Amino acid sequence: MKFQINGKSFSQAPRAGQCLRTFLRELGHFGVKKGCDAGDCGACTVLLDGEPVHSCLIPAFRAEGHTVTTIEGFGSEAAIHPMQQAFVDHDGFQCGYCTPGQIMSAVACVREGHAGNEADIREYMSGNLCRCAAYPNIVAAVLQGKTAMKGA
Amino acid sequence: MDLNTITAVARPKARSELPVWAAGDAWLGGGTWLFSEPQAHLNRLIDLAELKWPALTIDAKGLSISATCTIAELDAMTGPPDWLAAPLIGQCCRAFLASFKIWKTATVGGNLCMSLPAGPMISLTSALDGVCTVWQADGGERKIAVSDFVTGNQTNVLKPGDLLRQIDIPLAALKRRSAFRQMSLTPVGRSAALLIGSIAHDGSFTLTVTAATKRPLKLSFAQLPGVADLRDAILQTIPDALYHDDIHGKPFWRKHMTLRLAAEIRDELVE
Repeated sequence: MKFQINGKSFSQAPRAGQCLRTFLRELGHFGVKKGCDAGDCGACTVLLDGEPVHSCLIPAFRAEGHTVTTIEGFGSEAAIHPMQQAFVDHDGFQCGYCTPGQIMSAVACVREGHAGNEADIREYMSGNLCRCAAYPNIVAAVLQGKTAMKGA
Repeated sequence: MDLNTITAVARPKARSELPVWAAGDAWLGGGTWLFSEPQAHLNRLIDLAELKWPALTIDAKGLSISATCTIAELDAMTGPPDWLAAPLIGQCCRAFLASFKIWKTATVGGNLCMSLPAGPMISLTSALDGVCTVWQADGGERKIAVSDFVTGNQTNVLKPGDLLRQIDIPLAALKRRSAFRQMSLTPVGRSAALLIGSIAHDGSFTLTVTAATKRPLKLSFAQLPGVADLRDAILQTIPDALYHDDIHGKPFWRKHMTLRLAAEIRDELVE
């Protein structure tokens, strides 16, 4: 089996009932977080062929032949993604555990046109929970990130 | 989550490749429920993705929705302008307690087969006179109305090895004028009552009650009934024991909302 993750090829085979999140973490992508393990919290969000999914709900074998993007696939230490920068600028986190999933969803939200205003952002980002309740800052970050992504 | 008891995955590409059903098997559609809870009783997944059923087919008879059609695919569909009932599709998709990420994975068939009272795809397809095609384990198939497919809270007519293939919506139902009402305890919470009314070209009226009740119920009238007649019909047709009881709403409140929303639907359609 062959998997394309953040532009790199992997040929390891997942276990039959393994979810994509565990598979990605076992391959070293620790930005993919285990949260609720049931598709509620969004901490494990990754992009599958550019579409946001809860990787805890996706059978790993189904990612074969598709492209997977995790938070590690965004930007670099020298030039982080505009949405990452927006979260830094607005303190869109406290403990930071949910942040990779928040950023993955935020990028998808912007790309799909769901970030038109604060209300849209709050609704479409509602599938990503932040136990530190940094929501006002997250909304501000998404608004800035949206503008920055247009210019990127 | 990881399903650690799963030891095998079958990925058939055609019906002829479907493995013989055995205890411990599960169909894998979107997987959003299957992978959200431990499934210690399962040891093999039969993945439906490689069957590559077309999500949606529009023809002269109406609309066919594949069981593997995702909520996002259904919501994105644009029907002909004379499908007056088409707004119900978006309304029911938005009655789904799920994020836009879940929409991309969860399937219409999965929602039916879960058979939760609040399943909005059950509401949609039963209100639109949907007919399920079920592939039987013996190689045959049978058809059954969606309103008869779901028999109670998380129960349905499927037998071991049965596979829901598609739901067919007749053209006449799509052309009916309709009204939608939904109620839940929180703004985007699970539906406690979801009612859909529609009027056909011959003036007949159909009210579909879901979410409030353990299974979908359809009330049919030759013409739009009066306020009192509609209320009486609901009271006579739906016994108190059929109203669902869980954390999302008490039965007496669901009954109250059913009567109220039905009256609102009637008022909207009488105009």
